[in-house]
Amino acid sequence: MKFTFLFALLFGFGGVLAAGHLLPWGAHVRLPSQTRVVANGGRSERFVIRLPVDRVAAAGAKAAGLRAETGAVALPPELTAEPLLVEHFKLRDAGGNVVGLAARHWSGDAKAAGTAWSLMIPSRGALLLTAPGEARAALDAALRNSGYSPGSAWTGEVRVAFATEGTDTAVVAAGSDEFAGLDGRYSELWTITGVSDAGELRGTIEIDTITRHGS
Amino acid sequence: MKYALVAVLGLLIGAAAGGAAIYYNPFTQPSPPSADAADRALHYGLPGEVLGFHLGDDVVPPGSPKRDDVFWEETIGRTALLSLVLEDAHDKPAAIASRLLAVSPRTDLLLSGVRVNDYWLLTIPGEGTLFLRAESNVWPFLKETLPVWYFGRHWKGPTDYRPTAGPGAGGTAVVVGATGRFAGLEGSAVEKYRITDLDPASRSAAATGEIDLRLASSRVAAGR
Repeated sequence: MKFTFLFALLFGFGGVLAAGHLLPWGAHVRLPSQTRVVANGGRSERFVIRLPVDRVAAAGAKAAGLRAETGAVALPPELTAEPLLVEHFKLRDAGGNVVGLAARHWSGDAKAAGTAWSLMIPSRGALLLTAPGEARAALDAALRNSGYSPGSAWTGEVRVAFATEGTDTAVVAAGSDEFAGLDGRYSELWTITGVSDAGELRGTIEIDTITRHGS
Repeated sequence: MKYALVAVLGLLIGAAAGGAAIYYNPFTQPSPPSADAADRALHYGLPGEVLGFHLGDDVVPPGSPKRDDVFWEETIGRTALLSLVLEDAHDKPAAIASRLLAVSPRTDLLLSGVRVNDYWLLTIPGEGTLFLRAESNVWPFLKETLPVWYFGRHWKGPTDYRPTAGPGAGGTAVVVGATGRFAGLEGSAVEKYRITDLDPASRSAAATGEIDLRLASSRVAAGR
């Protein structure tokens, strides 16, 4: 009986420790990666954001344009002396499945203009994308050129490339886990097919990355 | 029958001892504080300086008030999104941060604790944007907080934590300059926070926190 008790005691003790060590407490559901091999080496992958459903939150200075005015949280005045726009999205793969989260910081002031994207795919890691940044209210200007006027609903199609394909200034600057050691380029295309009378955008953002392992 | 009862009793006592070993496990304690001085320290208060906070469905504390803004998709069920205003040493808003968080696959209750990948985009207007890649150990926070929230245990706080546990050298976060004057710079960062209040009813906490930044060159300090 003593042997039984000791065996059960050790089994219980060891079982809990083994569970603490071996169970995948931090595992995430992973969908197959929608990557393609490109002809000259490296791989390409497209990420998609659908508006308005994937827009989680935003905060910004009004000078940043329509996206800072509709559904965005106001920032303290100390942070809005220069145009600044912070946006958060759910992130989809090329097949339209939500695979992660994304944050976009855009600044339009003369000294620190630029765009930075943080893309997090929990099962794979994170990517940092940077670019010089589009002109202030670039999307607003493109919409107005297509007949949109603030305060009224609009339907049509406007395509605005915030980071153009083929340029070397929009880069994959850092990555973690599966994306560690990759460098490359990206492009960012906003396709807007409608604006509600409240200013809510409808359309997609496509982020196309081409990466390879750095030397 | 008697053997079965003895076996169950032994199993339960053994399991309880295993649970206690995990709870008091020295391997999952936080790293000692770094003695290096920061180039710049930015601080925040929770919940006062939160612009937005969203949780994945799988990490909403059981019993907390129902939220409509949870991430229900299974691929992001164990994530969180937090946006914050950060203040400078004079308590003036100086930066805005977006934090994308996900439970880390490196979570190991025996050897490393409950790890969270914490990706920051931190913009300081007029200067630029930094990307921070941190791995935080939230086990010390959880093992003190959960008994207060769920079992009514008396809270001995306020309590200080230094959750940053990597992936950089010395248990620091890795900083990459993204835009503006920070472009091309690299460095490290450490987050510290103090829990100042715990509310069992809403399963919430109040805290003050600080992120200490060090860049490879002193350019970040020149703006002060």
